[in-house]
Amino acid sequence: MQSVSAPRESAPPVISTSSTILNMREKEKYIEEFDFPFCDESSKYEKVAKIGQGTFGEVFKARARNSNKKFVAMKKVLMDNEKEGFPITALREIKILQLLKHENVVNLIEICRTKATLHNKYRSTFYLVFDFCEHDLAGLLSNVNVKFSLGEIKKVMQQLLNGLYYIHSNKILHRDMKAANVLITKNGILKLADFGLARAFSVAKSGQANKYTNRVVTLWYRPPELLLGDRNYGPPVDMWGAGCIMAEMWTRSPIMQGPTEQQQLILISQLCGSCTPDVWPGVENLELYNKMELPKGQKRKVKERLKHYVKDPYGCDLLDKLLQLDPAKRFDADTALNHDFFWTDPMPCELANMLAQHTQSMFEYLAPPRRPGHLRHHHHVAGAQPKPTQAVQDSGYQDRVF
Amino acid sequence: MPYWYYDKKDLQNTPSFRDGISTETENRYRKEGARFIIDTGSKMDLGYNTVATGVVYFHRFYMFHSFRTFPRYITACCCLFLAGKVEETPKKCKDIIKVAKSLLTEQKFATFGEDPKEEVMTLERILLQTIKFDLQVEHPYGYLLKYAKCLKGDKTKLQKMVQMAWTFVNDSLCTTLCLQWEPEVIAVALMFLAGKLSKFEVVDWNGRLPKHSAWWDMFVEDITMELLEDICHQVLDLYSPQTQPSGGDSPPLSAPPKTPKNDKKPHSATPPASVSPVAPVATKPAVTPIKNGEPPPKLEPPKAALGPAPGAEPPRYGYPPYTSIPPPYVYGAPPPALPPRLPLLYTEPPPAVAAGPRPRYPPPPPAPPAVVSVPPPYFPPLPAPPPRPYYPPP
Repeated sequence: MQSVSAPRESAPPVISTSSTILNMREKEKYIEEFDFPFCDESSKYEKVAKIGQGTFGEVFKARARNSNKKFVAMKKVLMDNEKEGFPITALREIKILQLLKHENVVNLIEICRTKATLHNKYRSTFYLVFDFCEHDLAGLLSNVNVKFSLGEIKKVMQQLLNGLYYIHSNKILHRDMKAANVLITKNGILKLADFGLARAFSVAKSGQANKYTNRVVTLWYRPPELLLGDRNYGPPVDMWGAGCIMAEMWTRSPIMQGPTEQQQLILISQLCGSCTPDVWPGVENLELYNKMELPKGQKRKVKERLKHYVKDPYGCDLLDKLLQLDPAKRFDADTALNHDFFWTDPMPCELANMLAQHTQSMFEYLAPPRRPGHLRHHHHVAGAQPKPTQAVQDSGYQDRVF
Repeated sequence: MPYWYYDKKDLQNTPSFRDGISTETENRYRKEGARFIIDTGSKMDLGYNTVATGVVYFHRFYMFHSFRTFPRYITACCCLFLAGKVEETPKKCKDIIKVAKSLLTEQKFATFGEDPKEEVMTLERILLQTIKFDLQVEHPYGYLLKYAKCLKGDKTKLQKMVQMAWTFVNDSLCTTLCLQWEPEVIAVALMFLAGKLSKFEVVDWNGRLPKHSAWWDMFVEDITMELLEDICHQVLDLYSPQTQPSGGDSPPLSAPPKTPKNDKKPHSATPPASVSPVAPVATKPAVTPIKNGEPPPKLEPPKAALGPAPGAEPPRYGYPPYTSIPPPYVYGAPPPALPPRLPLLYTEPPPAVAAGPRPRYPPPPPAPPAVVSVPPPYFPPLPAPPPRPYYPPP
């Protein structure tokens, strides 16, 4: 390509076909043969099975071809419909994953590429390669044979909050908290995953409100401030999700399954009480406060309704603090971790023994629907086409943990 | 993680050099590529962070590929395109190409091939693999402002000094300094230079300790005067006309045969012996030699007159017109007259930290499909989570 310009120094700027083709070939050969020192070929891993569908691509379980035969998860970066090259969402996820290194955050090992050949028009496909986790929380909760003791539930929540504490300390919002994005290794280590919607945040200065998109978070886990159009939100959006997930540890299915944003708000009001300036000062200033139907006179029934599932009073109390309508009153990760729930008997206990009884990998993607008629994939973004329900049989894959 | 800092020996033995391009020519290509990114970025209202990130990608890219394989201007466009996305100031590829076309001669633009956009798309993947997806780059700007806040002295003089240092940081992008030293070190050195030139002597600073002999000892350990002067010289050389070697806009015609080089061992460059941010320079570095008998320098046209025309919009990305800068090899030389083109509020905290509107560059219009609509800050450094208190049960 470079050499194109050489003959042109004396010639008029007209494409000289013969030299261009030759030079194109030379460049293609160069691209094909260049051994990128920092970006290995994805063929170093052998795909085992498809285990999920991330925000921007498919996820596979794979195994290293080298001697250690280590398992990894490979997330393909979808670029088919990208007019603007490598997707900015994938760039964000990569940037954030490179920043976050913590036991309770999924670990990005490397980014691999396929070889650039004529076949792919000399454009590589990229994979994010992660440490493999055997289960996700949604998959575990959908399996009736998996039973969590109170101590084990505490361990799950403690690790989840530890992960959130870490990412929030690093000024990152996850923005897609849900059980399916909480991974658990066979050793019982919890990892927050899928940072495809995550972003950096800053504390808004007076008079300069942030303007983030509120079209984030899977509907059932979306906090009231986002449903009311807040664009200056922060870590509390993830804490609401943590509350929903915590309740789900006992109810075994998402506690508020609204089919629309309006319905979701109604469900929230029925559980947490009406959204009024009394309980939530400033709610009246949110963009959609007057545009959405907000049930009036609803009483807060969080403890009352959840106590039948969550028999532990400390657990009920922490749930009540996480499912606060007013984001300013909602517990942050640090406060939640200091709650008596985690410091009273039974104390949090390791999950490894319980998980050792289960030899099959459990992912929501592979699991049968939790209840008949449930949509497996609920849309992230309101108004987006819900993805077609993915049937289990299209994989037929039964993965073994051991 | 790849180590992105090289010693002088490695900077000579580059893929381009091994491909028959002289060091002088390569340095000129690097300078022209960087300048082109700055010009294109400024014309598109991109902020200094985005521009600087693009330039750093550019310099890193050519530590692995030859300028003969990848012509500089299209690579420059690709670097700016990627930097725009990484720094949350995305620009459409076709718009970047449009601006590039307006800035380049027809001949230079011809290196973009028949379908420039497709070329950039292909190149982007090569760029990403080459830089190991190491997207987040730090620049001296933030450190410059942070350090300036600690210095005591006459406010006006300090402001003038910082203004000049800022300009030097802009210009340092045209050198390979970002491949040699961490941004902290570059910030210190160019503040040192600006201090000398603007006759702002720092005698006291906040946080001074008895062990500090100079203000920068507070920020970077063991920085030597030799190193500071080496860095300053590399920037000052930009203003010295003799460093412009002759040659066409493209690799010399008398180049070796153009068989593409299958560079199996591109990473021949070894990191410097010391990984300390302030490894002492053992020998006086060989600055680009001054060649006699060279044709008159091809000076960049001054991009801005001294001070904006009345009513004219001030340039968004300030750098001194080359012609107005004397080559001051004597540090005591009078400061060049630099119009304050970057009205930064030095008393304010650095603009990079806040996600709110930056002081100077209007935030980009919210991109409809993008999740993020405001330029985010740099990622803050990782704070270690404090030990969690244990509250005994009641």
